Amino acid sequence: MSAYLISMATFVGFFMILALALNLQWGMTGMVNFGIAGFYALGAYTSGLLSVKLGWPVGITIAMSCVTGLIAGGLVALLSMRLREDYLAIVTLGFGEIVRLIALNEDQITEGPRGLKIDARPFADMFDRETYPLVYLGLVAAAVAVVFVIVECIRRSPMGRTLRAIREDDVVAEVLGKNVLRHRVQVFALGGAFMGLAGALYAHYVQNISPEVFMPMVAIFIWMSVIVGGAGNNWGLLLGAGVVMTILEGSRFMGDFIDFLDAEQLSAIRIIVIGVLLIAILRVRPRGLIPEPKFSFATSTTQQERQPSTENAK
Amino acid sequence: MAEDLLEAENVCVGYGRGDIVHGVDVSVSAGRIATIIGPNGAGKSTMIKTIAGVLTRREGSIRIDGREIGGKPASEIARCGVAYVPQEANVFRQLTVTENLQMGSWIEPKEFDDRYEKVCALFPILKERAKVRAGNLSGGQRQMVAFGMALMVEPKVLLLDEPSAGLSPAMVEQMFDIIKQVNKTGIAVLMVEQNAMQALKISDHGYVMAAGQVAMSAPASELLDSSEVSELYLGTRQ
Amino acid sequence: MSGQLIINGIVNASLIAPPAIAFSLLFGILRFPNFAIGAYVTVGAFIAYALNVGAGMPMWVAGLGAMAGTAVVVWLSDVLVFKPMRGHTPVTLLVVSIALALIIEHVIRLFYGADVRGFDLPLERPIKFAGLRITGEQIDIIVMTIVIGIAIHLLLQYTRIGKAMRATADNETLAEVRGINTSYVIAFTWFICGALFGLTGVFAGLDLVIEPLVGWYLTIPIFAAAILGGIGSPYGAMLGALLVGLAEELTVLVLPSSYKIGVGFVIIAVLLLIRPHGLLGQPEIKK
Repeated sequence: MSAYLISMATFVGFFMILALALNLQWGMTGMVNFGIAGFYALGAYTSGLLSVKLGWPVGITIAMSCVTGLIAGGLVALLSMRLREDYLAIVTLGFGEIVRLIALNEDQITEGPRGLKIDARPFADMFDRETYPLVYLGLVAAAVAVVFVIVECIRRSPMGRTLRAIREDDVVAEVLGKNVLRHRVQVFALGGAFMGLAGALYAHYVQNISPEVFMPMVAIFIWMSVIVGGAGNNWGLLLGAGVVMTILEGSRFMGDFIDFLDAEQLSAIRIIVIGVLLIAILRVRPRGLIPEPKFSFATSTTQQERQPSTENAK
Repeated sequence: MAEDLLEAENVCVGYGRGDIVHGVDVSVSAGRIATIIGPNGAGKSTMIKTIAGVLTRREGSIRIDGREIGGKPASEIARCGVAYVPQEANVFRQLTVTENLQMGSWIEPKEFDDRYEKVCALFPILKERAKVRAGNLSGGQRQMVAFGMALMVEPKVLLLDEPSAGLSPAMVEQMFDIIKQVNKTGIAVLMVEQNAMQALKISDHGYVMAAGQVAMSAPASELLDSSEVSELYLGTRQ
Repeated sequence: MSGQLIINGIVNASLIAPPAIAFSLLFGILRFPNFAIGAYVTVGAFIAYALNVGAGMPMWVAGLGAMAGTAVVVWLSDVLVFKPMRGHTPVTLLVVSIALALIIEHVIRLFYGADVRGFDLPLERPIKFAGLRITGEQIDIIVMTIVIGIAIHLLLQYTRIGKAMRATADNETLAEVRGINTSYVIAFTWFICGALFGLTGVFAGLDLVIEPLVGWYLTIPIFAAAILGGIGSPYGAMLGALLVGLAEELTVLVLPSSYKIGVGFVIIAVLLLIRPHGLLGQPEIKK
């Protein structure tokens, strides 16, 4: 049981890194990313392949995952610089699906659906099999902490203020002389790097990665985490990631009590619960359960708050 | 004053927390023209949108011929004889000019042919450009489509939000002539105008709005003569 | 070889065109890409399956039933989910639509599992000419799509409700001001679109297979067709569908067929780069 909890906590850690990255891109800057699974997969396969095929040391392969995530994020942002946010949703989703398709189809390299076996693990020879999961959890926790500190520092810095200005209205930000494009690319690239890091940590943890893990649904879980926690709020989404993982994993135990449903039906119910909760939360609290703290400048005149008196027109 | 055609009493409207319009009374009698002038942000447009039903009043009463219309959806208010011409986005850009006019007579489709001739007599250009998409017209022509659409019903009262905005000086002149002409057929007009001087010249009554309230209400000629008004709104605004 | 690919492409296009038109019509009202459209298609396929295989009805009855049933489901999705949230930001609505897609897909899984199914139809030999093959069902799909395209054109161009649909999509506030009961027009639009999605589900069941993800695989080609044609323009959507349908099949000449579903994305990405408003679309002024 404790082994199970440790494993669950480790997965919560991956979710937290992804959620922090999405918060940087969307919550703080307003850039939509539905290709999270793609960046996650890119990180996992980069580190996995470099270690399996070229035998590079784990530390370096994980760093390379961040680099590929960074580059991919930058490129996606550059490509879509002129797009409205809903088009960006389609482009990023497409990016994710194409990464997955490549992993699935180029099986001479990636082993395709059979899955890529990865032996290398960081610090594996320094600890015994019993304590290693705990060590890995510590490693993931450290990564979460580092990413959290970076994202939080950005949020509090003058750059964070600029990013919020871009989120509220990029035309205004442009007029104010902020270089919107440069900031958007930087933020998207950095988010991509964090997602790559999460992917690499995931790959060396499960030691067998296959494309079916990286379905677009991953993005929904992360969006759920950020939205539950409150977009723009870094503390909140750590909680959000925990809540989402608990719903996903905790409902496994329902099987012990509800024996007339098979495993597949239970998993379907899990997703339905997540979906209904997501819609319910967005409807009741569009800014999340723990909203972003207000800043001195105009965040109070967003569309939602202006809404009530124009309802009659709809 | 006797029972007016359009009466708005103690109307309060607002976005979010604060009200933009606080307790405004406006009325127009049948066959008359009334104009609301005032500085930007005074709540003039908000007031006219509220009468049209595009915004919902928080408090107060709005009546047409004594019948309460406050709180009704805009489509029902239109059926009570109110025709509203918004300042912006006032044509269907993807529809042709004729289709726009058909939308104008939506509530009285049988009258289309008859009204079409009347409206085209006022704005001959609408017939010439019948098959052109409204979005491809010039600003002035679009304004005519918008105006023509409102006249495809024979409204009791016409609500105009800045009818002269964005028009060339010659066209402004023409627009006010047309408003006057329309009014002569018995249609009451309530408009909001930045071109205060010209608007008041054709109006019977004028309101000055400031900070969401009616600061002055007087016959148009009195406002034109008032030194206070001319200093604040007439001299500076041309 | 390539002649066959063109035939396949046309069949493919006929599958994409009706939902692309529907997506375009809905976009006019919603102003955000509704990711649940794939799930709607899946609903259509499974209703037709339940009526045809489960209840033993003839295919054409099952098809009409699927159109009606899906129209109701799609309309309910507006009443229960989207209508109460109108006025929220496009991104919020987009996330909601993805969540809705997941819910629908997994409700279907709950009852039908992940098995691959097909309609109960007699096996027919494909018609062959000059070395090319096409099945009777594929011909039905092409013919029906052409009929639907003409019917939608007539509806939008010449009927009162069709013009009101265009006016409402163009400028909802103004439509309301001119006396059009826009909530009725919007509900009608959802019904029509729902019927189109339902019909696509039937087509997908005829030409592909019936499984919980069948609609999801069509989502991106549908988006691609609608964006290619200029989002919000139903005629453009038809042209877009033809191009996407052909492009998907012709890529088989240069790439393994397993990459087919990536083609839609690539088309979208390239197109958005060179023409952000689509081929026939008009620039939209950003408010």
